[in-house]
Amino acid sequence: MDMFLYIDKDTFLHRLDPRTKLAVMFGSFVIALLFESLPILLALAVIILLYGHSGKVLSNLKRIRVILFMIGLMSIVIWSITRGGETKLLGPITLEGIIYGITVGIKFNVMIISGMIFLSSTTIEGISLGLVKLKVPYRGAFAFSTAIRLVPMIVATSYTITQAQRSRGLDLDSGSFIQRIKKYVPLIIPTFVSVIRSTNVFSMALESKGFGYDKERTYYMELSFRSVDYVILIITLLLILVSIYAKITFKL
Amino acid sequence: MKEVIKMWKSTKMVVLVALCAGLYAALLIPFKSLVLIPGITEIRPASALPVVFGLLFGPAGAWGSAIGNLIGDFFGSLGIGSAFGFVGNFMFAYVPYKIWNNLGIVDSNDREPNLKSGRKIGAFIVAAIGGALSCALIIGWGLELLGMVPFAALGAIISLNNLIPSLVLGIPLLMILYPRIKKWDLLWEDIMPEEDLPKTGPRQRSGAIIMFIGILVGLIGGLAVAVGGGQELFNFAQAGEGVSIVLIAGLGVLATFVGSLMQ
Repeated sequence: MDMFLYIDKDTFLHRLDPRTKLAVMFGSFVIALLFESLPILLALAVIILLYGHSGKVLSNLKRIRVILFMIGLMSIVIWSITRGGETKLLGPITLEGIIYGITVGIKFNVMIISGMIFLSSTTIEGISLGLVKLKVPYRGAFAFSTAIRLVPMIVATSYTITQAQRSRGLDLDSGSFIQRIKKYVPLIIPTFVSVIRSTNVFSMALESKGFGYDKERTYYMELSFRSVDYVILIITLLLILVSIYAKITFKL
Repeated sequence: MKEVIKMWKSTKMVVLVALCAGLYAALLIPFKSLVLIPGITEIRPASALPVVFGLLFGPAGAWGSAIGNLIGDFFGSLGIGSAFGFVGNFMFAYVPYKIWNNLGIVDSNDREPNLKSGRKIGAFIVAAIGGALSCALIIGWGLELLGMVPFAALGAIISLNNLIPSLVLGIPLLMILYPRIKKWDLLWEDIMPEEDLPKTGPRQRSGAIIMFIGILVGLIGGLAVAVGGGQELFNFAQAGEGVSIVLIAGLGVLATFVGSLMQ
């Protein structure tokens, strides 16, 4: 499994400041949470998909298609049975429940797609520096970006250990689900030990490069708002304000 | 609680945050498609890690769990719930090491998390219960407040989803990892300077008791009010309708944080 979500393209979306993309993502969360109206959530979904399409990053949705489908399916199943309503279809299942299930499924999926668009169009360095610019201490931002980079390395280490044990005769494919999980437990320990053991060397390497020398630090990468960032930020803010107004006034 | 901030001065602790987060995320991601509540939680064997991280690496384990969970959310469940997930998973590792050090179960002269006695195993179980339930309480309360998922369902599912791996996998994991971590001088109390380590005393003990009672009352009280008040365990239609649930669970959350600040 490829653990890197970023898709390297030169598009309008990729060139936006990470803080602008964060604001759009949180704006979409706020709007999605405000409404329980299917047409409005569908409209929001279309806007988010167009936004993602502008950056040519929607191909990443294939990677989470099972999750998106499961969310939609489970929402419809759960809500159609538990929501109740006047139009009975079969047993406890009602038409209102099914519609509500679709609405909630879209609400969750819109938030997840919005998050995926942000991650697919923003580099780890961009996210990290964006957080620093938003006043997150750089040591915290460093830990965050390092952790993201470590995930593929940890997965690769566990794969190597698994292959080594297989070559010594470990059979991971036979037995029940529980038995197979049990066989994986001893494989986790060497992965942990191998990763944690690197702490001392890692911290020495960092300090030898001057990590923590000063509270403030400079970056090779520079972030700055362009006029298009301001336009997107104003549009996002306006959409949030209009949504709040519509929610209060029309009780949507 | 000052060590949670002061630990960022130590490069080794910063590295441990990154490594714990990476490990937690790497074990969370493969199970993302085994959904329990759509968009909110899934089957999580990785829940065995935060308690172990908390006991071995203290505040670095807590930050690592919080960041690791957020990275895990990137792969299929990033949403507004991730904010509560961040705080909840922080407490999942933070509460255990505070219970271990301050609740008075472990002998004050031997606080090493080596599980070499029945008393220490008992303390681990109490610490795991505290950590797992605090995470369930915070996430359950937050999403009930937003009207997304009912407290009765989420509180119960997250509690079990956290507690079972913490106990079943956490004990052997800690038994195997502790000697190595100790040998490499990577226990958090060995890394942080003496003056930055939290004090222990009557105030801290009171804080641990308030925190633990807050977690139990918040979660069990919230569940009791939810079920007693007609919020069926899996009736999602009632999310956000229980003001008294938000209040009881919210008081539990408040007590948890007040108790934490006293330590």
